[in-house]
Amino acid sequence: MAPDAIVAEELTYWYGELIAVDHIDFTVAQGEILGFLGPNGAGKTTTVKMLTGQLKPKAGRAVLLGMDVAHNVEKVQGEIGVCFEETNLYEQMSALENLQLFARLFGIRSFDAYALLKRVGLAGREKDRVENYSKGMKQRLMVARSLVSRPQILFLDEPTAGLDPTSSEAIRNIILEERERGATIFLTTHDMLEADKLSDRVAFMNDGKIVALDTPHNLKQKYGKRALKAEVSNESGELEMREIALDTTQTPEAIHELFAREKVVTIHSEEASLEDIFIKLTGRRLTE
Amino acid sequence: MSFRIIKALVAKDLSLFFRNRFYALITVLGIVTYIAIYLVMPSSVDERLEIGLYAPVVPPVFEQISEEGVEIEPVESKEALVEAVIEGQYAAGVELPADIMEKFASGQKPQVTLYFTADAPEEVKDAVEFLIRELAYLQTGQMLAIDVSAEILGRDMLGEQIPTRDRMRPLFALALIMFETMGLASLISQEIEQGTAQALLVTPTNVKDLFAAKGLMGVGLAFAQAVFFMAIVGGMSSQPLIILTTLLLGAILVTGAGFLIASLSKDMMSVMAWGAVVIIVFAIPAFGIMVPGTISGWVKAIPSYYLADIVHQAANFGAGWGDVWPNLLILMGFNVAIVGGGIMALRRKFQ
Repeated sequence: MAPDAIVAEELTYWYGELIAVDHIDFTVAQGEILGFLGPNGAGKTTTVKMLTGQLKPKAGRAVLLGMDVAHNVEKVQGEIGVCFEETNLYEQMSALENLQLFARLFGIRSFDAYALLKRVGLAGREKDRVENYSKGMKQRLMVARSLVSRPQILFLDEPTAGLDPTSSEAIRNIILEERERGATIFLTTHDMLEADKLSDRVAFMNDGKIVALDTPHNLKQKYGKRALKAEVSNESGELEMREIALDTTQTPEAIHELFAREKVVTIHSEEASLEDIFIKLTGRRLTE
Repeated sequence: MSFRIIKALVAKDLSLFFRNRFYALITVLGIVTYIAIYLVMPSSVDERLEIGLYAPVVPPVFEQISEEGVEIEPVESKEALVEAVIEGQYAAGVELPADIMEKFASGQKPQVTLYFTADAPEEVKDAVEFLIRELAYLQTGQMLAIDVSAEILGRDMLGEQIPTRDRMRPLFALALIMFETMGLASLISQEIEQGTAQALLVTPTNVKDLFAAKGLMGVGLAFAQAVFFMAIVGGMSSQPLIILTTLLLGAILVTGAGFLIASLSKDMMSVMAWGAVVIIVFAIPAFGIMVPGTISGWVKAIPSYYLADIVHQAANFGAGWGDVWPNLLILMGFNVAIVGGGIMALRRKFQ
């Protein structure tokens, strides 16, 4: 079994009186995609900052690729790629120059910026100044920049937020390709569907603590409620909704009754979403 | 620190600096303009003193005046005299009363009125008063009732006057160096504001590399421009090593100031606002050198005083190491304080 790429042990950080991250423990295996979910202010960004060496933990430790981050910041940072939520590119430089600069910072001699830009769909625009790019193009360039060093661990913060479906899909494909390459991916997002689609496991963070960590499937099994939802037509021809909980002893009878007594127009099964589970666990919505 | 990383960052910063049309244009325009101003200004000092005289009756001694460098021109009326002085045609105006000869003859003291503009240097006022008193004495053999108190402020330039353009050299050199304060502060502020510093700091780049790169670029740009200017305008012909050392220390000083401004600023506008304050304060000592007697001892509290004074003394009077070392030491002390303070303040913003 591959060793863990990321280990957080009692990781803690506070700003004055406010405890932003409260003694959290988790591991991420090599080649795994971990979806890190939580509303604003839950402590996600502070956690990522500690994992990437931008903040020194007040207590506990973060170990990446077997190295304690606090004591090996530069070595660790040589092995990771970080894509921030906010665009932070050199806008007066071209995409090519942005990538070449970061390649030099990583000490990469033979770097094919054109190939990487082609991979993220920016072929033909390599020499344009970034300030002339659309938001989607900038975001794709941000992802490309995080891949310059072919990192072993990739931290992606809301990589598809506010993007058009084409750009979002392009970025999701890149994330999956990187996982195929063997990279470990730490994906911070508000987007439950994206987390559900991409993540091997998801962690829910709330008020500085991890309240749940498992595969999306297991979380749905454990906390979710499956149901049948049906649209029925009443006597005056208006549509009404009916819901039948699945996995109970009364389920078969209830389904039989529905079809026997009602005029069913449409029917479909419904799984609990990660959003539902998050609300159930924390009493808050992710987008709060 | 990594040389490879610092080299990459300096190359990037230089590229960004010259891509900013405002800074690129101002940098080139600054050098060209200052050199042009220097070259078109007179290279010698005009020591003539032109005085307008309105006198219904001109005493003989005023007609025979032969003081070296003094030219007295008669004017037809008091109003014409006042107007000519206001327009700068004369350094001073003298109005003699119509009954001057009678008063001289009767032993009375005539009323002589002198006219100066508000910005007339004290030296000129003193010189004209002295001249009138001397002429009256020559005419009558007795003193006029003028109570004169004279004080020489600043360096006594008697016998070693230098052209104004040479006096302006420290100001121009300082202006070129100072401008880099804003350029550097703006680059750093943008780096923080746009989050690119954060992007750099999750690579093997550390804060020391960032400071080293910014410092090298700031010092390099400021120093290169000032040296280029001084070389073109002949400011290196006397004591070049002292001037090079001083300009280098000056470049380090403004780099520290740039760090401080960047730590206080949130955007381009606040860089401009803080930068303008620092530039104005730092320029005061150089103005003092240009116009002696306009500043007093408090100016020594401004770090740039030592930069401007050493350049002035070395370039214009050939002052040697023995003359300038105390000021060099003070300048170094200011450098340590300002650069150290700037790094500490900025470090917090980077983190």
